[in-house]
Amino acid sequence: MKWIAFVLKSMRRSKLRTLLILGTMTFGVLVVALLLSLLTTLDSVANNPNSTNRIVVRHKSGLTQVLPRSYEAYLKQQPEVETVCGLQWFGGFYQDPGNFFANFASDEETLFQVFREEFGASGITEEQLKEYIRDGSGCIVGKALADKFGWKVGDTVPLTGTIFPISPRLTIRVIFRSPKPSDENVLHFHTKLLEEGVPRMKGRVGTYFVRTKSPDDIPRLIERVDRNFANSASETLSETENSFNLSFVKMLGNISVLLQGISLVVLVALIFVAFSTMAMAIRERTTEISVFRALGFTAQRVMGLVILEGLVLTGAGGALGLGLTWLLAAVLRPVMGSIFPFFQDFNVQTGTMLLCMGGALAVGLLSTFMPAYEAVRKPITEGLKTL
Amino acid sequence: MNGEGILPQEGAIIILRDIAKSYWRETLEIPVLHGIDLEIPRGGYYALMGPSGSGKTTLLNLIAGIDRPTGGTLQVCGFELNDLDDDELAGWRNQFVGFIFQNYNLVPVLNAFENVELPLLLSGLSRRERREKVEHALELVNLTDRMLNYPRQLSGGQEQRVAVARAIVTDPELLVADEPTGALDSKNAEEVLQLMERLNQDLGKTIVIVTHDPKAAHHARHQIHLEKGLLDKTIEVNR
Ligand SMILES: Nc1ncnc2c1ncn2[C@@H]1O[C@H](COP(=O)(O)OP(=O)(O)O)[C@@H](O)[C@H]1O
Ligand SMILES: [Mg+2]
Repeated sequence: MKWIAFVLKSMRRSKLRTLLILGTMTFGVLVVALLLSLLTTLDSVANNPNSTNRIVVRHKSGLTQVLPRSYEAYLKQQPEVETVCGLQWFGGFYQDPGNFFANFASDEETLFQVFREEFGASGITEEQLKEYIRDGSGCIVGKALADKFGWKVGDTVPLTGTIFPISPRLTIRVIFRSPKPSDENVLHFHTKLLEEGVPRMKGRVGTYFVRTKSPDDIPRLIERVDRNFANSASETLSETENSFNLSFVKMLGNISVLLQGISLVVLVALIFVAFSTMAMAIRERTTEISVFRALGFTAQRVMGLVILEGLVLTGAGGALGLGLTWLLAAVLRPVMGSIFPFFQDFNVQTGTMLLCMGGALAVGLLSTFMPAYEAVRKPITEGLKTL
Repeated sequence: MNGEGILPQEGAIIILRDIAKSYWRETLEIPVLHGIDLEIPRGGYYALMGPSGSGKTTLLNLIAGIDRPTGGTLQVCGFELNDLDDDELAGWRNQFVGFIFQNYNLVPVLNAFENVELPLLLSGLSRRERREKVEHALELVNLTDRMLNYPRQLSGGQEQRVAVARAIVTDPELLVADEPTGALDSKNAEEVLQLMERLNQDLGKTIVIVTHDPKAAHHARHQIHLEKGLLDKTIEVNR
């Protein structure tokens, strides 16, 4: 305790330098923590453990093309398949085009089976489910979305179509919870509503989400499905759900490689600043270190104090940086999340925090060790020499 | 300070035998001290004098255990210093030696109290025990009212008195001072010198002071003259 108090007082020696190191560490950790958080979030999109049993079947010519409803029967017949849910991106907005969120016309019966994991946490009762399935203009919304717009069960939500020329008025039947925030920012309504309102969607759907019995079955299934519909009027492109989702963040993946490069350069520069500032600070204290040793402080004790000071300083910088990252993540989540849904899951992982904190402390240790060692290796009389 | 520093004058507190010290520049040996034999009795007050470059500081550093001789043996405060390793020597200094430097060497970011407390941080004393000792030492140098001042808020004389308090707070037997008045005007110098005299007379501290100021040396009871690394003569100061 007395040593920590001493070290804290010692930091007042050069406030500018203390602030420089603190600022450097804070900024460095902020950059790294943000980047790592972005990478882990991107990674969770591509490696969603909930998706391992699912594949997505869509039109080979792209997402704007739709598949015949008749494919559903074929898919259901495959021995590997457990169940199939047709899902059509509706792309409507609520009140204002700026209010972006994911909304789908989906098969109300199989939705909860195919996306068992996503709805599992919500504790939807059998009653609620029946209510939704019964009400052709009913919809279900995630808790986060409901909170954002202040929706309650029973409320009417008018959705304005952007891709399709209909604007259904939906009644909220279920508000569900999901383990992942991005899964809670979703609205589903009945497929039939779209099919009846939009003639060209009659008997058609954009994607089939297929739940298989085992992940091991997936390669075989994908191959067979695509081969079966090859050379037909609507050829299919089947892939795992993870790879399907990845195609939406691929561009961001490329950006993140660029970001990685930039932050690496920034990081190296910052570490260099921390190292040279620390070395300068310690070298300037040569006389004082000699005085301490004359007073009876051993070389190890003096080194320990100098290193402790470095650790406290860089540790504080690291903590500050993580705090800022956390704040920034809280701000980015809704802002970026309305453009890229996966950003709703953007947060600072424990692993990232530990890594950044460890990194900051490592800088503190490494930047002080050598100069401190050099300082105590010098004869005491050397440092005491005046004039 | 509470009397335990005053020990019976049985024998010398400092015994130097054939002490030699050389510095090396590359392969060139620069001899500074040769064959110094010296005994200083417990409770003595000695001034080390001599021209600049004669080796006064070097000799004092050896006695105070912050430097090692190239040859000879030295026994200080009952310890054969050559037998102690660096860490033991550090502990020994903390316990037995008080340092007073020419330019005070206070820690600028610590106030007077904290500066004086510094050597006590190495002891196992509680916060309260340390506080008592620090306050007592500051009382002795008459700076109780300046306890919370930082070095830059003190005059040179006050700074040196804080340094004296720091030197005596662990109640060491030996005080060493290298030109302690070198940076002070004559009035402040006199004050510090009187303080040291009191430490010698009232508390029985053994004091070795390096100075080239005859007035300063006059406060001591003995003067040792160094000439080109050799002891020239020892003079008893008559007062
Ligand atoms: N670290 C050192 N390296 C080389 N020479 C030194 C060193 N320290 C002191 N000397 C030399 O030793 C001699 C005595 O120095 P010092 O003890 O400081 O003298 P004084 O204190 O009497 O002025 C001087 O000639 C000085 O140049
Ligand atoms: Mg000298």
